Amino acid sequence: MEESVVTFNAFHHVAWGTTISVYFWLVGASAGSFVISSFGWVFGIKRYKPLTMTASVTAIIMLLLVPFLLTWDLGKPIRFIYLLIPGYWHSTGPMAWGTMLICLYPMSMIVYSYFVIKQNQTFAKMFGIVAIVLALSTHWYTGVVMELNPGRFLNHTALAPLLFLTGAFISGIGLMNVIVFIRNVLVRAENRFDWALVHEMAQFMMYGIVFDIFLLFLDFMQTTYGNQNEVMGHTVVLMQVFRFPYLWLELVIGLVIPLVILVSPLKNYKLGALVASLLVIIGVYGMRVWWVMGGQYLQSFY
Amino acid sequence: MGNQESQLNQPRSYGLQTPGTKGVQGTKRYAMVIDLRKCIGCMSCSIACKTEYGLPLGVWRTWVKVVDKGSYPTTKRIFMPRLCNHCDYPVCVRNCPTQATYKHEDGFVLQRYNRCIGCRTCMVACPYNARHLLPEKRTDNNLPRMVVDKCTFCIHRVKKGLVPSCVQACVGGARIFGDMNDPQSEVSRLIATETVTVLKPELGTSPTVYYIGSDWEIMDEPHSYSNRTRQVVEEFNDFKRNHKGDAFADIIEGEPLMTEVGKNWIGYLKTIPHKAKETLNAFKIFLFD
Repeated sequence: MEESVVTFNAFHHVAWGTTISVYFWLVGASAGSFVISSFGWVFGIKRYKPLTMTASVTAIIMLLLVPFLLTWDLGKPIRFIYLLIPGYWHSTGPMAWGTMLICLYPMSMIVYSYFVIKQNQTFAKMFGIVAIVLALSTHWYTGVVMELNPGRFLNHTALAPLLFLTGAFISGIGLMNVIVFIRNVLVRAENRFDWALVHEMAQFMMYGIVFDIFLLFLDFMQTTYGNQNEVMGHTVVLMQVFRFPYLWLELVIGLVIPLVILVSPLKNYKLGALVASLLVIIGVYGMRVWWVMGGQYLQSFY
Repeated sequence: MGNQESQLNQPRSYGLQTPGTKGVQGTKRYAMVIDLRKCIGCMSCSIACKTEYGLPLGVWRTWVKVVDKGSYPTTKRIFMPRLCNHCDYPVCVRNCPTQATYKHEDGFVLQRYNRCIGCRTCMVACPYNARHLLPEKRTDNNLPRMVVDKCTFCIHRVKKGLVPSCVQACVGGARIFGDMNDPQSEVSRLIATETVTVLKPELGTSPTVYYIGSDWEIMDEPHSYSNRTRQVVEEFNDFKRNHKGDAFADIIEGEPLMTEVGKNWIGYLKTIPHKAKETLNAFKIFLFD
């Protein structure tokens, strides 16, 4: 039996909420889509060239939603400009780096897309490389901005950027699969993308899912064998309060079921790949929810 | 302790942040010692602070945490006044993207409202819950709103030779304030001669609020969460219900989580009209005034 009880304390808010989790999801899906876009022009996999513009436009649209979301999340939206002004910009603040990346990444994608439209292989490849580095960095940053808070035990792990990047990879591919599916249903047969691409992307997604499960297992090990805060972060925050987004949305719906679909004969059906993709997209959002809100949850009563 | 202190005092670069000044000769390092044996839980410090700064409901720069120990008849009620630790290596300063928060050369960790964009990065970074967002509606709208606020160790008083208002108001003399780099000061003497502890020393923030006579059950974060009374849980839930709408991610315990996530999303959307109005006003002032 516990010998003491807290009878009074000040209450505190969880500072970052749903907006940030949606932002993390959007940036991830954008980065993942852009990886697909770059396959044809940057990595020279020619069968992906027809997908380039669809993937690029998806990535740009997803990312253009971000500034609106983030600016209105600020207490003083008009002051977002401070993040860009020398003299205000703080080199040691992770958010300052993120602002630069969020500005540069869509610009590089637009330039890349321009050269793709112009069929200029040299410049498309050059700016494609820049854009792919920025895409990965932008999403790497979302992991880092949560990681660099030593007081938030669930987030303070070097696995964070890797988990985010893997989530981005699978959710981006999932999103592309869904878009390709919808497009193929809507357009005439001669304008359709090759269905084989959907199955191939689903295969890539499967590798990503396996790696994501491995990373989550590592995180599980760390929290289970960790200090008291980490253990409580896992047993109370993740397995009780955030059980739905962590266990059900991410692990079961977002990873295990799609993996089962993708290793079974169901993967040979278009619908199988589509369902797996949809589930992955939903599951990755679950991860963003528990990662952002769960990490801050325990401390709100300290 | 001495070895650890000397290691912590190695110069570090945190951009705008001044280097740690604990124990550095020729510098001032204001600190507070709180003797928990003398604290009677009267909350005078909280009230003095609220009065000094006209703080709105629901936010605190300092507060007193209360824990009841033991079971009848062997019981004890223990208190722990809490405030910003004015860390020597503050995470909030390091992580602020606009240099809105900085460390004063005498050790105060301060906030510049005119630079703060209300991104709440510092609130996420602070391991001590010492920061809060000022609400959108205040009795006097000329006061700072929707920016982050924190304890200043009453620098405006200290610079005039006074002690912080919480120290002034403490009836038990539990709070002692002074320059810990001055060997003649009372805080130096207490830190040197008493067994003192700080909150979360393992995080490397090097806090400058020292506690005498503290108990692990009131200092420990997981313990606090696990050992709340039912009444406290309900009060916390009411607090969350009454403060929806500032884009916070409060989860009311016992409610379906994703419903709460949805409500937070609605709360965020509800903040947009008043923020848009303020943004338009700012444009008007910029263009026409």
